[in-house]
Amino acid sequence: MSSRKRTTALAALGVASVLGVSACGGGGTTGGTTSGSNAAGGAQKGGTIYMLTKRPAEHMDPQRTYIGRDIFNQQRLVYRGLLQFPAGKSGADAIVPIPDVATDTGKSEDGGKKWTFTIKDGVKWEDGKPTTCEDFKYGFSRNFATDVLTGGPSIYPLNFMPSVAKAYKGPYLKTGQDVYDKAVTCNGNVLTFNFEKPWADFPMAIAGLNFAAPFRQDKDQGDKNNFVIFSNGPYKAEGGKWTKGTGATFVRNDQYDPKTDGNRQANPDKFVFTEGLTNEIITQRLIADGGNDKYAITDRSIPPAFYNQITGDVAKRATNVPSPYTFYILPNFNKMKNLKVRQALAMSTDRAGYINALGGAKAATLAKSLVAPDLPGYKENPAFSSMPPSGDPVAAKKLLQEAGVAMPYPITYTYQGGTPTSDNAAAALKSGWDKAGFSVKLAPLTDTYYDVIQNPSNNSFDVTEGGWGADYPSIFTVLPALFDSRINLTGKSNGQDYGNYKNPDAEKIMDEAAAAPTADAANAKWQELDAFLGKDVAYIPNYIQNFYFLHGSGVGNYNQNPAVSQFPDLGVISVNK
Amino acid sequence: MFAYIVRRVAAGMVMILAMSLVTMLLFFASPADPARYTCGKNCTPQLLEQNRKALGYDQPVLSYWVDFTKGIFVGSEFPKDPALKKSAPETIADCPAPCLGYSPQSSRPVRDIIVEKLPVSASLAIAAFIMWMIAGVGLGIVAALRKGSIVDRAIVGSALVFYAFPTFFIGLGLYVFLALKWGIVPVPAYTSIADGGVGLWLQGLFLPALTLALVYIAGYIRLTRAFVLEVKGEDYLRTAQAKGLTSGRILFKHTLRGALTPIATVAGLDLGGLLGGTIITEQVFNYDGLGRTAVMAATTYDLPVTVGIVLVAATFVITANIVVDVLYAVIDPRVKYS
Amino acid sequence: MSEIHRDVEFGAGTTDETFDLEQEPETKKIEGRTPWQLARARLRRDRLSMIALTVATIVVVMAILAPILDLLGVLKPNDFNPELIDPALGGYPRGAFGGMSWTHPLGVEPGTGRDTLSRVVLGLTFSLIVAISATLIAVVVGTVLGLISGFLGHWADWSISRLADMVLAFPVTLMLLALSGMFIDIIGKVVPNDNVATGIYIVFVLGFFGWPTFARIIRGQVLSMREREFIEAARSLGASNRRIYFKELLPNLWAPILVYGTLVLPAYVSAEAALSFLGVGIKPPTPTLGNILANSVNYASSVPIFFLVPGLAIATVVLSFNLLGDGLRDALDPKADR
Repeated sequence: MSSRKRTTALAALGVASVLGVSACGGGGTTGGTTSGSNAAGGAQKGGTIYMLTKRPAEHMDPQRTYIGRDIFNQQRLVYRGLLQFPAGKSGADAIVPIPDVATDTGKSEDGGKKWTFTIKDGVKWEDGKPTTCEDFKYGFSRNFATDVLTGGPSIYPLNFMPSVAKAYKGPYLKTGQDVYDKAVTCNGNVLTFNFEKPWADFPMAIAGLNFAAPFRQDKDQGDKNNFVIFSNGPYKAEGGKWTKGTGATFVRNDQYDPKTDGNRQANPDKFVFTEGLTNEIITQRLIADGGNDKYAITDRSIPPAFYNQITGDVAKRATNVPSPYTFYILPNFNKMKNLKVRQALAMSTDRAGYINALGGAKAATLAKSLVAPDLPGYKENPAFSSMPPSGDPVAAKKLLQEAGVAMPYPITYTYQGGTPTSDNAAAALKSGWDKAGFSVKLAPLTDTYYDVIQNPSNNSFDVTEGGWGADYPSIFTVLPALFDSRINLTGKSNGQDYGNYKNPDAEKIMDEAAAAPTADAANAKWQELDAFLGKDVAYIPNYIQNFYFLHGSGVGNYNQNPAVSQFPDLGVISVNK
Repeated sequence: MFAYIVRRVAAGMVMILAMSLVTMLLFFASPADPARYTCGKNCTPQLLEQNRKALGYDQPVLSYWVDFTKGIFVGSEFPKDPALKKSAPETIADCPAPCLGYSPQSSRPVRDIIVEKLPVSASLAIAAFIMWMIAGVGLGIVAALRKGSIVDRAIVGSALVFYAFPTFFIGLGLYVFLALKWGIVPVPAYTSIADGGVGLWLQGLFLPALTLALVYIAGYIRLTRAFVLEVKGEDYLRTAQAKGLTSGRILFKHTLRGALTPIATVAGLDLGGLLGGTIITEQVFNYDGLGRTAVMAATTYDLPVTVGIVLVAATFVITANIVVDVLYAVIDPRVKYS
Repeated sequence: MSEIHRDVEFGAGTTDETFDLEQEPETKKIEGRTPWQLARARLRRDRLSMIALTVATIVVVMAILAPILDLLGVLKPNDFNPELIDPALGGYPRGAFGGMSWTHPLGVEPGTGRDTLSRVVLGLTFSLIVAISATLIAVVVGTVLGLISGFLGHWADWSISRLADMVLAFPVTLMLLALSGMFIDIIGKVVPNDNVATGIYIVFVLGFFGWPTFARIIRGQVLSMREREFIEAARSLGASNRRIYFKELLPNLWAPILVYGTLVLPAYVSAEAALSFLGVGIKPPTPTLGNILANSVNYASSVPIFFLVPGLAIATVVLSFNLLGDGLRDALDPKADR
């Protein structure tokens, strides 16, 4: 996702690339965090929760939303889909899909190619009409209108229905409607998806993303719907829309029947979202804890500048958990062709120094694989398990000597510069590598960063860095996305494969994993792939970014868990009066 | 006079059209591809192409500009896709004249965005304007009357100090210390009169308006002081004095009238410049006005919004110029326009 | 009055008063001294201006010496000092007052431990390079176009005046921001370093939006002088137009250029800071007053000393040049009664 170190929204300027805009849902790490005086069961009803945030939402249309934070806020408040993740659970329990509008978690046939769901009675839209099977079928069809509805994760449905995608252009142009009508069918309240390839973790995908959310055909106005919110959940947006740059206020939806749900607690009467604030202002407001800020929460971490103020009572309102985002260092395979040299690089990487530069243990945790620890099938990458956090320059020097290259071996490290933090972190890497016999040139880039690293024929750097979080809790959305040259290396760009990695053996394992009929079989293959990439030093796991959030003193039932990408879970939160 | 106004307005409109062309030429020269920005994470070349078409960036700049200009006079609709219009007319956004284009990232016509954000910027500009006019002119007069004294020096000196710090420094300093650390004033947040009444509206405006006023006030103190001193030295006032008029009367009836005319003209121009959005102040205080919207648009390559706000801001400046010139002619009979 | 669109939000703006040298020839006759000698004498009598001149001189000398001291290793703007900061507290400087000590008299930068004094002094150099270059561009372009406008008149005057109107109507901050991504990309293809590209961009755009002010002043001077005796005398003696420009006019244009240059320069120092705050300025590790300040405002409440030092540095530069400019104007323009 490469949302790396963008300390201000404005730094995004010049980060012209799409990469800057993506972030990811699902996944997470063990250990949710709960605080507040009320136990999950006896939370108080009523009051208003204020969400203070920085990054403006880009979409509120469920089929177009691709940012984890927005997906889960939508799910908890306004959009009910077939499945959901449980609210307020922690660890692996948090990412087990449970029914929402469907009666169960779906039945799969034909080796994972055919999925059927039955739609519950009594789930209503905010205008009182029932949420029907046809609404789901229509909602899913919108993924194919890639010309009108941009930005969403439609690549997943399209990938599993390639021939439908070729014939069908979505519900607006309606060309190829008959093809779609055969692929997704409604029989009474039974909804069936006929995929062309096995999709073993489809339930995970639709609980972790909103592309299969229902949509009312009579309310659909194409692109004009981007910020319109038509709810079938416990809340509805005041004025029926989100205002870009400002936010929205959510009030109770009187058509919502909690008996059809059983998961969302919907405690507060109101949620007020304010976007566009800076991390510094959010932090200082939450430290001050005045007025309505007593009931405020955020999804922005405390900047290191304020760590010294998080003491006493303020510290009780701070939570520090690993986020679903892993950052990694990667060699450019156009240049670093010698395996021993890459191994020496890995062995001398001072990850502890890097983490210190970011703000220490509160800001980041050492990563043992590019795969986040809470993803099903996670295993430490054996290739890096013997690597000390500060690196081992002596062992690395030996490897470099074995490689038989002239020393010091010159390399250029390119990174997104422009902040003291990023320069400091790069300096830590340089000192470790230099000790092992490399001669490191630091090349901080600001505006041209993505132009350089995404250029598949660029040889101006040897090493760079990246960051990634799973789209939904499946390794399928991590490793192939970053190392499958067939989807990334297209002509003028290397997509997310910044290291220009291209290895048929690795791609063969990816194909086997994707074709696996069950999630367990797939996971075994993914582990094999991760080990392969580690051995080949396609990447060096660096750190897991930590969330370090504050919340106001009047917030009850505060909980962050993997079901909501470790953001505050709005499904259980309450106001202490 | 009437002919003069007509001519100025016509010239202003031509200028704005020329500016729109220049702005678009500049933006289209960009190697950055706005389509990439709206294309999402898993972008493919086909998706990119579709995005570009949906945004209208597949056409050459001149025809884009012609479309845009036509939209200003007769309105437009988006996307301009006859096939889509035929099969799904409800997805077509209608944009009546004066249409300023369509923002693909906000999914609505630019004019709607501007109409929504303008009151925020205007509230801020007007509140600041009132603050600096009262304080600036008042202190300027005091300084002039006490010319050379310690009061004069203190006023002019402290005004200059505020003038010397960058706006964001003053703004963030006030925000962090007055509102957050010491809690003297409430946390500034814009509430419209419709939502929260005049009280909350003023409360939210206080700090940002103060910031802006502090930046402008120095100029007004110095201007007022200079004009008052200048007018005081002019012949007709010496005559008045010779006639035995009291100094209070002289000050208010003669000196101020003479001094305020030029100050009013400068103030008009300043206000015109601010109505189009105050980028830094809005950014510091998270005021969702034209300035901050423009920053967001510029950083996300939302070209139609950027162009729209540039043109609206320019229109305010040009209008302020015309209004000031015309008023000047009305107030001061010595000025004649042919 | 309606001459200059002031973008005061940037911090210091330019002033609006017109410049008047008209009395110079007469004084010359009476006292037998050149206007320059007179001005110098007047300036010397003005204590405030002399202080401003001293401070400004120190600032410039420091800016010139800084790179030399950096090369000699006296200044250490880019040395990380991890031992001076506490990683457990997010890089908070160890010791009182932001890590002040004999080796780091102004403390160290939180998060890196870099020496604040070194960074501020070297930052001064880069900030002044940007501001002076932008001023020079504005002055040169403005003077050339102003001369053409004033001397040729007719269509040349008309088109240059309209162009100036248009440039002045653009919201400068927004244009700087909106165009930065694309232009820095383009410049970046020619120069190897992102920061050099950013610097060049800022200089050119500030200069581009700054020239109309100078053009108008110069044009006004030319028009008023053209009718005066010494030019007519030169013409009647058979001097060529070129000779008139360079021999007779330029010396008389010196004064306004110097005054307004001195006043515009600090505005550009502030502008550079504002751009850094908006995220499009020159980026660290290259220090500029702007990017140091944009970083330091985040520490307003946690490390106040680190917040104040760069702010005061910028204010000192802006204030000293502004006061010097005022003093120069008063000295060169005896009619202004201040």
